[in-house]
Amino acid sequence: MEKENITAKDRIKSVLTKVWKAIVGFLYKYRYFWKKLGIAVLTLAFSTIVIFFIIRLIPGDIVREYALSLASSRNIPYDEAYRLAVSLLNYDPEESIFLQFFRYVGGLFRGELGVSLYNEDITANLLIKQRLPWTLFISSVSLLISFLLGTWLGSLMARKRNGAADTAISSYIVVSGSIPDYLMGLLLVLIFAYTWKIFPSQGNYDAFYSEPGWNFKFFYDVLRHAFLPVAAYVFVQTGTWTLMMRGSSIGVLGEDYISAAKARGLSERTITRKYLKRNAMLPLVTSLAVSFAALFGGSPLMESIFNYPGIGLELSARIGLKDYFVVQGIMFFTSSMVILVNLITDSIYSLIDPRVRKE
Amino acid sequence: MENVIEIRNVTIDYKLKRYDIRAITDVSLDIKRGKITALVGESGSGKTTLSSAILQCISTPGEVTAGSIKFFGKDGSETDVCACNNHQINKFRWEKVSMVFQAAQSALNPVMTVFEQFEETVREHRMGWDKKRIEERTKEVLEDVKLDADRVMKAYPHELSGGMKQRVMIAFALIFEPELIILDEPTTALDVITQDYIFKILQRINREKGISMLLMTHDIGVVAKFADYVGVMYAGRLMEYGDIRTVFKQRRHPYTAGLIGSTPSLIGSLDDMKPIEGNPPDLRDLPKGCVFSPRCPYRTDKCTEKEPEDYIKDGCLLKCTRYGE
Repeated sequence: MEKENITAKDRIKSVLTKVWKAIVGFLYKYRYFWKKLGIAVLTLAFSTIVIFFIIRLIPGDIVREYALSLASSRNIPYDEAYRLAVSLLNYDPEESIFLQFFRYVGGLFRGELGVSLYNEDITANLLIKQRLPWTLFISSVSLLISFLLGTWLGSLMARKRNGAADTAISSYIVVSGSIPDYLMGLLLVLIFAYTWKIFPSQGNYDAFYSEPGWNFKFFYDVLRHAFLPVAAYVFVQTGTWTLMMRGSSIGVLGEDYISAAKARGLSERTITRKYLKRNAMLPLVTSLAVSFAALFGGSPLMESIFNYPGIGLELSARIGLKDYFVVQGIMFFTSSMVILVNLITDSIYSLIDPRVRKE
Repeated sequence: MENVIEIRNVTIDYKLKRYDIRAITDVSLDIKRGKITALVGESGSGKTTLSSAILQCISTPGEVTAGSIKFFGKDGSETDVCACNNHQINKFRWEKVSMVFQAAQSALNPVMTVFEQFEETVREHRMGWDKKRIEERTKEVLEDVKLDADRVMKAYPHELSGGMKQRVMIAFALIFEPELIILDEPTTALDVITQDYIFKILQRINREKGISMLLMTHDIGVVAKFADYVGVMYAGRLMEYGDIRTVFKQRRHPYTAGLIGSTPSLIGSLDDMKPIEGNPPDLRDLPKGCVFSPRCPYRTDKCTEKEPEDYIKDGCLLKCTRYGE
């Protein structure tokens, strides 16, 4: 009886040791990832604090300003307007800034990013849900196109150095590089929307023409509306990618493995695809990830030119309104996305470059 | 003796914007089947340019402007390397003549495993081998160079040591069992023990498989030990060519004598070492007459008048006025 007890105890002990070893082994195996994760969490915490206080630094008292506008629009005395403003606004001016901060962080843990000062139905979550898809749609499509186009042109330039194509693309890069994207947007609107009337100048889709849903008409309408903003982005961004790829490709072309591949009788196509492009793209992937992460903030200028209902346009409007709770919520979301995307890129970079793989 | 490569009056120019550089001037050379032929000479003497001309992969903007390079196959076929079109030359490369590069340390694609690169080369050559056959052949050649095939096949280049990469490149050159392997300083950047080890492997491959080799090196000791024939190059010209015993024993050409005399010996005193005075000439501004004449201890007026022809003496080629007539 006694003996069996001991063996049972031992068995439990050995099982526990095994589990413990497995946990430690698991932690150890991914130790680089844990370290990166820890850094990411710290960065996020720090950015949350910075965002919160920086927004409060915007000059002006929100209740006072709202009261002033109420007083002038309703033609009532200022004191009355102030009381009205306090009751209308979803904001307690008596609440200390630290209490606000803890309420904000508490909300973040519940997944609530913030409620608008002006309207309790408008929340940061809702705005992100409505606006972010449009921003991501436009900007990721243009990023993808300009990246693919840029890497293609860049490697072509490197291979046919000093040829006609090289010169032509160089001049394009100089031109596109010296035109800011919003100006390009205005130019495109002027040419395609006002003069030729081929593409719509603003909005994301025409509510009179098509109904949102999974139907062809709606897709067609969305694509037509997206064309000009995407074209403006692509025109401006492609040059940068091309230049980066050209420089990187020239470096790779000088590598010994390129001439060795040629001597092995590999075709020009294979060498370009598997030797030149793959190796030359490696340093660009990091930049691609950074650019992709930056998309989550949207581009207020471009979105306002095309009146495109993206997150950037919304954010700039809300900053103008001093809608503290919504702005800090959206900014928290944007920064957490940047951090997350960087974390993911860091972790999967080893998939494309075996040299970073750690045992 | 049968030749595998016949180089006839080849001239190679690097065409630059402002001037041309003549890297190889009127060189004729036979590479004997089944033998190890060595080319020695100082840096910039044109060894690499001449050898890459055989594979038609001289680095741009270099090109063969005169002469011909002919390849003779075991099966009696004859290929004019310079007259091949793209498709033909890609087929010729590696299947008939392969090469081990000077910079073997970086001659492998860093983002592909060793086996992926072997497999890719086989597939590009449309040999019609299935995956199993490619695997078997890869294993075979890797074991030929004394590598742990199973481990090396799955490895990325950066996971291998310098000596291992060098052997992988030799194995790579063997994959189609070509008739000639060009070895462009195959052991630079390796320690002497590994050097010797690699040369032993190469010698064994040469003897067992009868693969001809063209070896380029600065190391006179290695040439004396392993080569059957030797060519001495200087300023883009072949100064002397012949079988190793005659060339090294008789030291007829002043430049050959200088090269051998400047090699340190393990047993002799260092004082016996005599460097060749002066520097190799600038290819854009060659001396009149014999290119070696400014550094030559036996210089006569005749040397500076006219460039010497190729004289044949006891089956050896000598480009020196002293052996004329």
